[in-house]
Amino acid sequence: MSEAAIFLFMIATFALLAMVLKLPIGVSLVFSALAGSLLGGEGVALHHLVEGSFGYFDTILIIVTAMIFMKVLQESGILDTVTAILLKSFYRRKVALLLTVMALVMFPGMITGSSTTAVLSTGALVAPVLMKMGLSRVKTGALIAMGAILGMIAPPVNILVMIMGGGVDMPYVGFTLPLLIIVIPLAVSTSLWLGYKNIKIIEYKQMKEVLPESFFKKYGFRLYLPLIIVIGLLLGQSLMPGIIPDIGIPAIFLLGSFLGIFCGKPLNILKTTQKAIEESMPILCILVGVGMFIQIMTLTGARGWIVTSFLSFPPLLLYLGIATSMPLFGAVSSFGSASILGVPFILALIDKNAILTSSALSAVAGLGDLMPPTALAGIFAAQVVGEANYFKVLRFCLMPALFAPLLDKLI
Amino acid sequence: MKGLKDRLISGLLLLLSLALCFFSTQKFREQHKKETLFPSGGLASREMLSSYFPGLIDTPGDTEVYIYGGQNPGGNILILGGAHPNEPAGYVTAVLLIENIQVSQGKIIVIPRANNSGFTHSEPQEGNLRGYSLETPGGKRFFRFGSRLTNPIHQWPDPTLYINPSGQKLSGQESRNLNRCYPGKPKGYLTEKIAFAIMEIIKKEKIDLAIDLHEAAPEYPVVNAIVFHENSAELASYSLMELQQIGFEFRLELSPNNLRGLSHREWGDHAQVMAILLETANPSQGRLKGKSSLSLIIEGKDRNYSKAAKFGLLFVPFDGEGIPIKLRVARHLAAIKILLSSFNELNPEKRIEVNHMPSSSQVKLKGIGQFLCPPYRK
Amino acid sequence: MFIVYHLIIFYLVSHFIWYLFRENEFWKRVSVALVLIMFLLRLFLIK
Repeated sequence: MSEAAIFLFMIATFALLAMVLKLPIGVSLVFSALAGSLLGGEGVALHHLVEGSFGYFDTILIIVTAMIFMKVLQESGILDTVTAILLKSFYRRKVALLLTVMALVMFPGMITGSSTTAVLSTGALVAPVLMKMGLSRVKTGALIAMGAILGMIAPPVNILVMIMGGGVDMPYVGFTLPLLIIVIPLAVSTSLWLGYKNIKIIEYKQMKEVLPESFFKKYGFRLYLPLIIVIGLLLGQSLMPGIIPDIGIPAIFLLGSFLGIFCGKPLNILKTTQKAIEESMPILCILVGVGMFIQIMTLTGARGWIVTSFLSFPPLLLYLGIATSMPLFGAVSSFGSASILGVPFILALIDKNAILTSSALSAVAGLGDLMPPTALAGIFAAQVVGEANYFKVLRFCLMPALFAPLLDKLI
Repeated sequence: MKGLKDRLISGLLLLLSLALCFFSTQKFREQHKKETLFPSGGLASREMLSSYFPGLIDTPGDTEVYIYGGQNPGGNILILGGAHPNEPAGYVTAVLLIENIQVSQGKIIVIPRANNSGFTHSEPQEGNLRGYSLETPGGKRFFRFGSRLTNPIHQWPDPTLYINPSGQKLSGQESRNLNRCYPGKPKGYLTEKIAFAIMEIIKKEKIDLAIDLHEAAPEYPVVNAIVFHENSAELASYSLMELQQIGFEFRLELSPNNLRGLSHREWGDHAQVMAILLETANPSQGRLKGKSSLSLIIEGKDRNYSKAAKFGLLFVPFDGEGIPIKLRVARHLAAIKILLSSFNELNPEKRIEVNHMPSSSQVKLKGIGQFLCPPYRK
Repeated sequence: MFIVYHLIIFYLVSHFIWYLFRENEFWKRVSVALVLIMFLLRLFLIK
């Protein structure tokens, strides 16, 4: 059985289960991985399946804890209070609002290199502001998803570049400028393109009507404590290493959530955790399934076959291959895409400047976070704005997303 | 109100979860078993790494250190295998040395499983086999195929951003990569402690020349290479010529100054030893590799790599014959032998004399197994 | 940190199990069971 046949069979099984039988995507992925393992002659390779899912263990931890934090922000009234402040300061300045929002969304991504973190922390803060100012749910979602991805690509921390650099022994030095050159034009144009037309400048009276209740008077400054601690710790671990301890993103979010119990409206942390788990379960299961799927792809040789096929494209097609395969593979995870495809692509383009190449490739790989079925950035952005169908959000990401590979060509 | 039936289903699913855990546990636990090595009669003593740095006592990072010679003073050599347990030729070469050599002058210290914890698991999503067997005259010997990184159950969680002891920023998981953690930290992560302990050996045993045995994917530029610290430039270029004369092509790579935390950089900078890292081409760790199989590890054959070679994507010749592990081990052996003889030429006052070292041509011809002990105790 | 993360895993495992018994939809419960495998293996320090 050739690798290609096994791969197609796995895809077909997945399509059958997910689309015809309407099983959850995660469960469908698990079963299609299992089918691939059987067809590849590996039997029920249980330990391989389980091992594969561990590839996303850290990501899953970040997602669950970030989700708990987001729920705490909502239920404690912190979210409403921050929305009120932003709304009061920006209700008459459109461009300033859009750029500030973009910068806010990008910020956590810039310091953690994780788009999920960005969407679920500051993304959640700005979403209600944008929507109250007249931006539709889907466009708000798209703006947050794109902001988060651009934040992930932006310096100082770009994990994608670090992963690719690790594969070719290139130190993470000298990336600030090239990354900024990629990110800044995209960030400015994306936010204005998505928001300029729809955001309405409103009168003070109108603003007062949509203004959510601020709990600042009731709880005072401590209301902001969870946010300050979380952002401070996220910032500190990369800007002041050694001084501020690096306790890891999951622990930071949980610490913030814990503080949230005492800093705002009273809430039951156990029930809040349950809500967070309930909402994040589909994506957790997808990640488990994708992990198994890749493990079986690698085990049966399908992964190597795909990588080799893309690499053996002639030069012009190679660029096209990069622009399509890296985001496509990012469907699985942008980090996986950087490691599995990014490294060979850098090596294939070794005659070019490696720093510029990998900066550009990281932008392309980052877009993978928009790609179904995982579409981490897209799914969470949809969740943050309360839109059930994340494909609608993705539609509006398409334009700026197409623009990114084009920019890379120029480099 | 939830029905009994619902609870029953949930209960069954919980049981299923536990059962799947239970059945996979066995496979994962097996990986923690160490295969026995059979040192040659020339072994002077066997220590643990923790005897050089007590911080490793009772940790999964502690590992065996095999010491040969030492009766007649001469040069002191350290040879490291298994810094990356997914690079089998490095590990197997170290084992071959342990099971064969005798040292009549100077001292050779071999650490076969430098990152012992890395041998106890395999990398998620790499789909690697748990190990491979080599045929000896008395039966098969099993060797474990591990992971490049320390086992996360021994060192967890990874930092978001890893700043290694030399100040280089790396992605978080590199905190589990032994060859990014030098010169190590006595109170750092487990992997940093291992790196620190290896530095302690180098200092306490007054090592003159330290050799780190590695492999790299065929698509990686630094392959079939001798990477050298500027301390050992003369030794490396001298050895290169000799190796070419016996038919082995190597690249010479000067250890880059801005790439910190690697053995060939920090051993030289912090302990002033001659530091050398050897790379051979291993298709079973590459990103283009096909189906995981014994033949991929042992015979080194892979269709994808043959295809990639035709497109000029590789840094080594690769055809249908593949690059078998015996050839890769032979390369390591040839390089070690010539590095030692060049060392003697350059440092006549610190000679090192090794006997019974398997010759690279014989390993290439007869296979590795011929030079391994049979799988039972002598 | 190792202990802190172990506690985090323990906290989440208990919540997953609670959720498994709270949820009514079959496939959602299957999802929980699948995710739980990993967390149990890490909780018992097996993988």
